[in-house]
Amino acid sequence: MEQALLTFSHGTGIFDFMHSPWGWPVAESLHFFGLSLLIGTVGVFDLRMLGLGSGIAYRHLHRLVPIGVLGYLINLVTGTMFLTSAPDQYLYNPAFQTKLGFMLLAGCNVFWFYTTCSTEVRTTSDSLPVSGRAKLIGTVSLLAWCAVIVCGRLITYYRPPYHWCFWC
Amino acid sequence: MAFVVGVNLALAFSLLGLIPSLLNKRFELFFTLHWWAVGLIFISGVALLIAYPAKALTNPVFFLKFMALSAGLLITRRLQHSVSGQAANPKPPLGDQRSNRIPTAFVMLVCWVVTIGAGRFLAYTHSVLLASRYF
Repeated sequence: MEQALLTFSHGTGIFDFMHSPWGWPVAESLHFFGLSLLIGTVGVFDLRMLGLGSGIAYRHLHRLVPIGVLGYLINLVTGTMFLTSAPDQYLYNPAFQTKLGFMLLAGCNVFWFYTTCSTEVRTTSDSLPVSGRAKLIGTVSLLAWCAVIVCGRLITYYRPPYHWCFWC
Repeated sequence: MAFVVGVNLALAFSLLGLIPSLLNKRFELFFTLHWWAVGLIFISGVALLIAYPAKALTNPVFFLKFMALSAGLLITRRLQHSVSGQAANPKPPLGDQRSNRIPTAFVMLVCWVVTIGAGRFLAYTHSVLLASRYF
């Protein structure tokens, strides 16, 4: 797996870019900008579903979600660049593994939202609360993305071999 | 930091007309959460500064970040005041004048992009790394 990722990054030029003097900081800045887009849009929409900003139309804030998706895509691309440039630092890193777990949870939560209550939320009147299910989804989303941020920040402190993955 | 930047990006997008304006009294609670998050940023920032004073204070990128962050927060404060003072002040508030919206949004975006970039580049541009004896 490690070798496959390294071969991919060498073949695409990602490795050379990331190991150039400014490659890694540029990618990190874009990664942080992407997560800010995600939290500022999806996070604000989740907080609205939890009852903050009563009177602001749900369908108006929902229009921010595509911008959040853009932020997520930026993070996906830059995250792939990090992973493929130094796979040994990520694959065996418990913080990274936990981060992926929470991203999976957030993804399943998004799927649950759009298959069960997205239409109901968007058509709910501005001053009325959404259903309990929608509030639960909003809570899970907020907590999951906060956990992703925390785990992302901890990656650098659990780099092998200093804090090796005890379950690997 | 992500929440602070995120809320400000949402405000900038609303000024650009991507979503209906968020600049009304109903957004007040988001502003409150925003300022609590700024408090957290301040506390963690001071802690980092105490831990590595030379690394930050000898790096011009730190001052660039600080200026961009201050400018961004100042704009947010003015936008918030323009919303809360709407009833008393007959003049159109900052975010409501058509001629102000796009330049304000543009300046906000630039401030926060510079803050994020400078923050990340701090780790790669320092020339001194002396840990404080307090840590």
